[in-house]
Amino acid sequence: MIQTDPDSFVQGILDGNRRIIAKTITLIESHLKEHQQIAFTVMERILPHTGNSIRLGVTGVPGVGKSTFIENLGVFLADKGHKVAVLTVDPTSQRSGGSILGDKTRMEKLAAHENAFIRPSPAGGTLGGVAAKTREIMLTCEAAGFDVILVETVGVGQSETSVASMVDFFLVLMIAGAGDELQGIKKGILELADGIAINKADGDNLTAVEKTKGDLEIAMHLIRPESPTWSTPVLTCSSITEGGTKNIWETVLDHRKKFSASKEFKQRRKKQTLAWMWTLVEDGLKQRFKNNEKINEEIPVISQQVENEKISPTAAAEKLLSYL
Amino acid sequence: MAISMKKFMPKMRIEEVAARRQARIDQGTDVIVGVNKYQIEDETPLSVREVSEEVRDEQVARLVQIRKDRDNEAVQKALDDITRACESEDNLLAVCLPAVRARATIGEICDAMEKVFTRFVATTQCISGVYAQESADSEMIESLRKRTADFEKKTGRRPRILLSKMGQDGHDRRVKVIATAYADFGFDVDLGPMFQTPEEAARMAIENDVHIVGVSSLAAGHKTLVPKVIEELKNQGASDIKVVVGGIIPPGDYEFLKNAGAAEIFGPGTVVTDAANRTLNIIGA
Repeated sequence: MIQTDPDSFVQGILDGNRRIIAKTITLIESHLKEHQQIAFTVMERILPHTGNSIRLGVTGVPGVGKSTFIENLGVFLADKGHKVAVLTVDPTSQRSGGSILGDKTRMEKLAAHENAFIRPSPAGGTLGGVAAKTREIMLTCEAAGFDVILVETVGVGQSETSVASMVDFFLVLMIAGAGDELQGIKKGILELADGIAINKADGDNLTAVEKTKGDLEIAMHLIRPESPTWSTPVLTCSSITEGGTKNIWETVLDHRKKFSASKEFKQRRKKQTLAWMWTLVEDGLKQRFKNNEKINEEIPVISQQVENEKISPTAAAEKLLSYL
Repeated sequence: MAISMKKFMPKMRIEEVAARRQARIDQGTDVIVGVNKYQIEDETPLSVREVSEEVRDEQVARLVQIRKDRDNEAVQKALDDITRACESEDNLLAVCLPAVRARATIGEICDAMEKVFTRFVATTQCISGVYAQESADSEMIESLRKRTADFEKKTGRRPRILLSKMGQDGHDRRVKVIATAYADFGFDVDLGPMFQTPEEAARMAIENDVHIVGVSSLAAGHKTLVPKVIEELKNQGASDIKVVVGGIIPPGDYEFLKNAGAAEIFGPGTVVTDAANRTLNIIGA
């Protein structure tokens, strides 16, 4: 029962109607052209109402406690009167196409909180990846009045790079002493981090946490900070003992304050908007290439020629591209 | 063992075995007499003793009475002692006894401990791919996958179902089997936290914009919880979201649930692939 009238969507979003927000997200995620077109119209109309939130990305390898951390931070903020939207992405099985979306089982209190909205999305076979969709969903939530947006990604693969390029603060969660010091998180991700937090800093774990913290601080010294006003701090937090969550939020606010003062905040958002445009251009180009009839006709012929070494791959690619 | 318990390893193994066994039962390779072999054609329905809603009201009334009659100051003191004992790692039994004698409730005693120990929340991790792996009936699974894929082509997304456990019903092994099986068939499966209220389940269904809510009931709450969740969906403007029920539902209750608006009921012995097909029928896939 998806309506097709963009007006009712725009109004519903601005009114903060949960049902309509959820339906809009479904449209954004839909693979159908007509749904995407409605979503496009709606996005254009709500754009003036977006941008007024703190966008926080949270990443980390599976088992690091992302969902529980978001539950704690989310409830902490929602209790303070913030309106908190949480967007999570769950992996999709390549074989069956189905997904299990279980994040809310670990965000029990937040899921029931008046001031919260949580939407898990299947990674799916979305063209252009999760990123473009997540960004539009984020804007929808902003237009609906949510002033803190938490985006959770699984810290393996491509998704964190794209999430880092759409948030104001990118937080990397880690745990102490699990194997090698960087736990499979690539150095590249630490470069993207605005903050690192070592989770599960409680009980018997504290000594190990302190050691990991020291190691990470040394590692972070070797990475030249991108910003003149900010060097990535290494923090600790725990779902059992209090304090860590609050501390992390204060760090996020401090970052915002410093970045606003130095005008880096605006620059970063501008840069991200431009980057988004280029992502869309790339997706569009790929899409056009795939849908181009002439190209589809020529692909088997030219492929054959390349296989038989009649023409070089370079020449073949050039020829295919010339049909665009 | 303690470490593996902390990491929920035994729980995951149990769930994995359960999914595999379900696949074998569904195919008849594991025989359960009366369930998938030698079923009785005209089984005389068992008479089920039904506990009426009034019992709950009576219990609540009793609780109110107890709270009124007891020495609440003494109760509070005993509860504070418990919290203190938790902090200092003293003998808990020694401080619980006076609390019980002062007629503190188990709930209040737990709350007093929770202040220090915090609440344990079982992380719900779900295995995937297991049902399909064990099932030799790949044709059936392929046909289900085709149905879900066709549904996506037609409507722009996969059929999405919220599996919910509501009320005081901690039996979640079955619902996990269903979750992993449905995901194997190509559904997007949302898993709700345990002990949801109907309001919470309805809200989650709406936020996640699912097509169907699947209520799993193994503790006889279905006659209260199913009508309530249907009503809540209506209240929150989502009467188009369909509700199906699975679990231990006595045949005598089917009509009641259908009248309340349940679209399908999957009682004991339902083959999971069959349930999935019927679920897809409901949403016109």
